[in-house]
Amino acid sequence: MKGRTRVLSLLDGRPLDRLPLMPITMMFAADQIGVPYGRYATDHRVLVRGQIETARRFDFDHVSAISDPCREAADLGAAIEYYPDQPPAVVESKALLGEARQLARLECPDPTSAPRMADRIAALSLLRQEVGGDLLIEGWVEGPCALAANLRGINALMLDVVDEPGFVRDLCAFCVELALLFARAQVEAGADLIGIGDAAASLVGPARYEELVFPEEQRLIEGIHALGARTRLHICGRTRRLLRQLARLGTDILDLDWMVPIEEARAACGPEQVLLGNIDPVALLRGGTPAGVREGLGDCHAAAGGRYIVGAGCEVVRDTPLPNLLAMVEYARAHGGRAGPGSHP
Amino acid sequence: MAVLEELREAVLTGDKDRAVEVTRLGLETSIDPQALIDDAMIPAMDEVGRRFEEEEYFVPELLLSARAMKAALELIRPLLADTGASSRGCIVIGTVKGDLHDIGKNLVSAMFEGAGFEVVDLGSDVSPEAFVAAAREKSADLVGLSALLTVTMPSMKSTIEALEAAGLRDRVKVLVGGAPLSTDYAVEIKADAYAPNATAAVRAAQELVGGRAPCR
Ligand code: B12
Repeated sequence: MKGRTRVLSLLDGRPLDRLPLMPITMMFAADQIGVPYGRYATDHRVLVRGQIETARRFDFDHVSAISDPCREAADLGAAIEYYPDQPPAVVESKALLGEARQLARLECPDPTSAPRMADRIAALSLLRQEVGGDLLIEGWVEGPCALAANLRGINALMLDVVDEPGFVRDLCAFCVELALLFARAQVEAGADLIGIGDAAASLVGPARYEELVFPEEQRLIEGIHALGARTRLHICGRTRRLLRQLARLGTDILDLDWMVPIEEARAACGPEQVLLGNIDPVALLRGGTPAGVREGLGDCHAAAGGRYIVGAGCEVVRDTPLPNLLAMVEYARAHGGRAGPGSHP
Repeated sequence: MAVLEELREAVLTGDKDRAVEVTRLGLETSIDPQALIDDAMIPAMDEVGRRFEEEEYFVPELLLSARAMKAALELIRPLLADTGASSRGCIVIGTVKGDLHDIGKNLVSAMFEGAGFEVVDLGSDVSPEAFVAAAREKSADLVGLSALLTVTMPSMKSTIEALEAAGLRDRVKVLVGGAPLSTDYAVEIKADAYAPNATAAVRAAQELVGGRAPCR
């Protein structure tokens, strides 16, 4: 069974041969082809080579255009610092929205001609050309809270959610406008699925998440579905207290960070939700042993029951020992996937 | 008594205006300014930290409480200078080279100020050379290093080595923190202490360098 078919079979409830495998790789993938990360993030040909090479070596079911959280922010005019061998990062002290009222003047650029977004779109076209039909092709957008943090500065945004909720609501709505334009262009270029990264959403707490972030994430997910693509939502960090809300979002894949007990996610989301994750990428996948990785995944799998995709809680970090990652690959290969809702594997 | 309790409550709930008002009231009724800090603000921030650990509080609440505390401190600080009990020592703090995570470091920095230390905050992505230069220039008593990424933890080690090479290591204590760290790692890289959160950081700093001179 080809990777793309395998993942789509799981999502659509058709039988499949084994558990799908979809870990996030960025710096790890660049290291695999021996290219400094700065080039991986800024040249789609390098990213595509890194993704395809990594997926082939480790039998992943997907390739992804994820690279750094700054593509949208850069094209909106935010100050970005580029590093030779690290992901680009926004310069918070020069935040684009240093004054909240500057939001009124912000306009969505056309993703197909704005340089950093266009580079991701080019990556997706090239991925479609090279591995389309074989591997699932994943595009990526920043979620409303993450992009808002990149534009306003995360420290300022965390106070805004209390001081100026109206502003935060408007800002998140703007971010979703852009995300939907960007997602459309990525789907047209070849993405089967759009990953949504909304790291900062884990920091605000359930009440403010419900009020300010949830409605916009939901609108984004519905909008991507309307484009004919699937969604994977990944929120870095502690989202245990958000599970009841995450369950209602309707994302095809809920990708959980390692701090979230999968059994709680299963209980909150019900048997239909596809869950992905979530061993500790640092302590266990990078710092542990192959046996530990197998055991950790066994626990996740048992807790998730059916409708489960193998992966780590977050990005597979640089310098992860190959035997540990191979143990993850072997785990997926050795276990049958459950298309339908199941109790235990 | 009521003032202390009210101030504690104001900081705990992140109510800046109320914190300022109560502090003003307290000072008018000639409560010992140091008591406002030690018996109201610090215990409040302790509780804030506890609620954060328990996932009852989240980052906005942490920042609101820190802001309320800082606002109240503005009123108290000049009075402490008068009584001569001004600074408890000079702290240089920053997030290490390659690491941009600064929310936790900012909180720790605010708490140090709250506890009466003078703080020089170098920001994030700070090179070992910049730590050394600031420690020397300010004649710091303590250097606080923050790292949130496993890949930047070695920058802590190189910063400590740079302090050593510059001949400053016997004069400055080094306190490290950040989510991926541990006491074991602190020992391994020859830091003086590790603290898991902002209130523990204050306690550690007080133990290491309490009562020293302000920054130069
Ligand atoms: C917000 C965030 C970001 C923001 C940071 C914005 C900013 N201005 O800070 C952005 C989006 C930029 C970001 C980027 C990245 N991030 Co990030 N991020 C987080 C997140 C969600 C929250 C961190 C946080 O602020 N916590 C809240 C504060 C209050 O807690 P704290 O920092 O731990 O601080 C407390 C204590 O540690 C202690 N403390 C902190 N500093 C100090 C200092 C001293 C001296 C002392 C004594 C104590 C102390 O006291 C604090 C208060 O109690 C975490 C996940 C999580 N929930 O932990 C990931 C996380 C830290 N990020 C991670 C990663 C991998 C990245 C990226 C590499 C991702 C990428 N590929 O682009 C980049 C790296 C950028 C860089 N070069 O630094 C990983 C790190 C894994 C690891 N151990 O290596 C985490 C854990 C996510 C994960 N599950 O994998 N991130």
